[in-house]
Amino acid sequence: MKEEAAYLADAFRRVIAGTVTPQAIRIAERSLNREPIWSALAASGFLDALVPEEAGGAGITQDQAFPLILALGEHAVPVPFAETMVARGLLAAGAVQAPEEAAIILAAGSAVQPCAAFADHALVQVEDRLLLTKIEPGGDDIFRLGGTLGIRRGEVLAAIPAEPGILLRAAAAVSAAQMAGAMARMLEMTLRYAGERKQFGKPLGKFQAIQQQLAVMAEQVISAQVAARSAFCGTQFEQARVAAAKCRTNEAAELVCAIAHAVHGAIGVTEEFDLQLYSRRLKQWQLAYGSASFWGEELGRIRVAAASVTSADFIRSHLAYQEQVRQFPKGR
Amino acid sequence: MLFCLGRVQIRVRQLFLSLDRPAQLSNFSAGHTEGLADHEDTIVTLNIDSFPPTLLPGYTDALRSEVKLFIAEQLADLPPHRRARTWAGFDADFSKAMAKRGWVGLTMPKAYGGAGLDPYCRFVLVEELLAAGAPVAAHWIADRQSAPLILHYGTEAQRAFFIPRICRAELFFCIGMSEPNSGSDLASVSARADRVEGGWKLNGQKVWTTYAHKSHYMIALVRTSGSSEDRQHGLSQFLVDLSLPGVTVNPIRLGTGDTDFNEVFFEDVNLPEDALVGTEGNGWAQVNAELAFERSGPERIYSSLVLLDLWAKLLGPDPEPDDAARLGRLIARLAPLREMSVSMTGLIAQGKTPLIEAALFKDLGTELEQQIPAEIADAVAGHPDRASDPEVLRTLAYLMQLNHVFSLRGGTREILRGMIARGLGLR
Repeated sequence: MKEEAAYLADAFRRVIAGTVTPQAIRIAERSLNREPIWSALAASGFLDALVPEEAGGAGITQDQAFPLILALGEHAVPVPFAETMVARGLLAAGAVQAPEEAAIILAAGSAVQPCAAFADHALVQVEDRLLLTKIEPGGDDIFRLGGTLGIRRGEVLAAIPAEPGILLRAAAAVSAAQMAGAMARMLEMTLRYAGERKQFGKPLGKFQAIQQQLAVMAEQVISAQVAARSAFCGTQFEQARVAAAKCRTNEAAELVCAIAHAVHGAIGVTEEFDLQLYSRRLKQWQLAYGSASFWGEELGRIRVAAASVTSADFIRSHLAYQEQVRQFPKGR
Repeated sequence: MLFCLGRVQIRVRQLFLSLDRPAQLSNFSAGHTEGLADHEDTIVTLNIDSFPPTLLPGYTDALRSEVKLFIAEQLADLPPHRRARTWAGFDADFSKAMAKRGWVGLTMPKAYGGAGLDPYCRFVLVEELLAAGAPVAAHWIADRQSAPLILHYGTEAQRAFFIPRICRAELFFCIGMSEPNSGSDLASVSARADRVEGGWKLNGQKVWTTYAHKSHYMIALVRTSGSSEDRQHGLSQFLVDLSLPGVTVNPIRLGTGDTDFNEVFFEDVNLPEDALVGTEGNGWAQVNAELAFERSGPERIYSSLVLLDLWAKLLGPDPEPDDAARLGRLIARLAPLREMSVSMTGLIAQGKTPLIEAALFKDLGTELEQQIPAEIADAVAGHPDRASDPEVLRTLAYLMQLNHVFSLRGGTREILRGMIARGLGLR
């Protein structure tokens, strides 16, 4: 199963890399038009990856979707592709097929709604129901990334029963995975830059002070990736896993951005340089769907309420990797 | 295994047919900025694939339950501030009781008195012991490093003599690495063993030798040829019987009143021929082979766990928001580290040596071990108007005074980060 997931992710990366070039990202940020990126990515068929096979999707498991969403983060995909993929999966579980062309955001409680300007639909949670609504973006695009401070809800197209809180968990998990991907990409860019940029007659990467910082950066990236991966274990997004993942990725993003920009110097924040495409998204995701403190408090409450004697027991029962049980379609 | 991906599968096939270069499994396999070549120049050998998701096999559950029961019986009266010593806590009786269960030398072959179990079982055993703060120091080094070293590099006679005695908790070991002038710069060691009639003559000094004063043997890294300038060449490992004439062990008293460390002097110590372990001159490589074992285990993340859990328990079912957030943030840092340790256990079980991965894990893990007492100190002293639990304060005091060494033992932060930088292709 591991190989197949890698095979899928690798194929998906190629699709993304062929479409979502830094130039295409810049054009999207300026135009706030999801085309041409959207159609090119949608043609891959991956939007229905989480939709069961009997409903016409690929029926992959949640943990197999993780590398795909990681890859979207690695390429700073400006449109709500990951969000729509997860939304279509959630809707399919309620026997609703989302409109073919819909770009759907996960409009859970959030200081900012990433990608809202690129979306025409949203999932909204009202207690134990998920509503699929048409939307228009509302409020300022404070990061100039197409993420707005709010949305204006339009016609409700469908409603399905859902566990309370599932939308926030899904949105936080999807953000955490994309953040982990973006951080990995920033590490790669920073390593490359440290190898090219010379000062005092040698590449920055040859200075021990820089090497030590890059080592710390790598630690943070891997820790965030492992935490994000854990959020995708299980058959649905679990509160403890998502809390740990978003808390950890939010924290890690702080150090990762700081080190990446410190090593790059001022060039890193310029429009023409690619680094800021990633760090600005990380900053927006830090504000979206709950901060490190918010999710930390959630996780702390789950910990004290749990029967686990030691925190090792707690991690084992609530946060450790679990094998995915594949749900085969009926009648096979 | 049939794996039907429906539409995606078909798309993926089409994609691969249209590719003009072979699939590559690196994290960034396709060009992102200015073409493909740039990306292929950068080799990031450390990424999430370095730590594949790994499941502890189901057969380890029974062992875990047994260990929990054993700990509950053995340590019922040990207060948290004593438990906080974990693998620095020395209790020969506890080690002997563990040995009776077959839990010392768990991974050693049955032929040498071991339990013949795999690294996953050892992970579970060690995790339970450390989470409970069991005093495992007496057999710790022999179990973790000496027995595997002797099994791997020792002669048949050495294996037959030492391993069964280690497994019975009759022989305790310490490691002789650091010297007064060789700390992080380990390759500069100058203690030396010279060939003499019928064996070796050992001279020199070791320092920071944990529990040498309570151990029977030291595995010492010493020079058998050349001088300090020859660096890692000419080093060898010896099994040194600490009761031999010419060996002097002086305990070093710490500011806390604890005595864990020693300085050990060798003056014309006559070692038998078979005190050499492995190949003469191969000491550096042998020491390096131990490092993945030494740095990848739960002991690099659980050293402050007793304190964390004592504090968490006292928070009660409805903690204040700040306290809950502090607890949750620490757990969120700990959880991925445990995943990494389980993952490396799996790699070791497959015969791999995740050396750089272990360096990364240890640096991150010991940082958290140091952060836990700092965070809890900040929390409990955050309300000067309220009385704090004395046992929390006792446990905290121990860890606040000694957590500095968590990032020193087993390779310093700066050395580890240097290794990570090498893994990232920077050196």
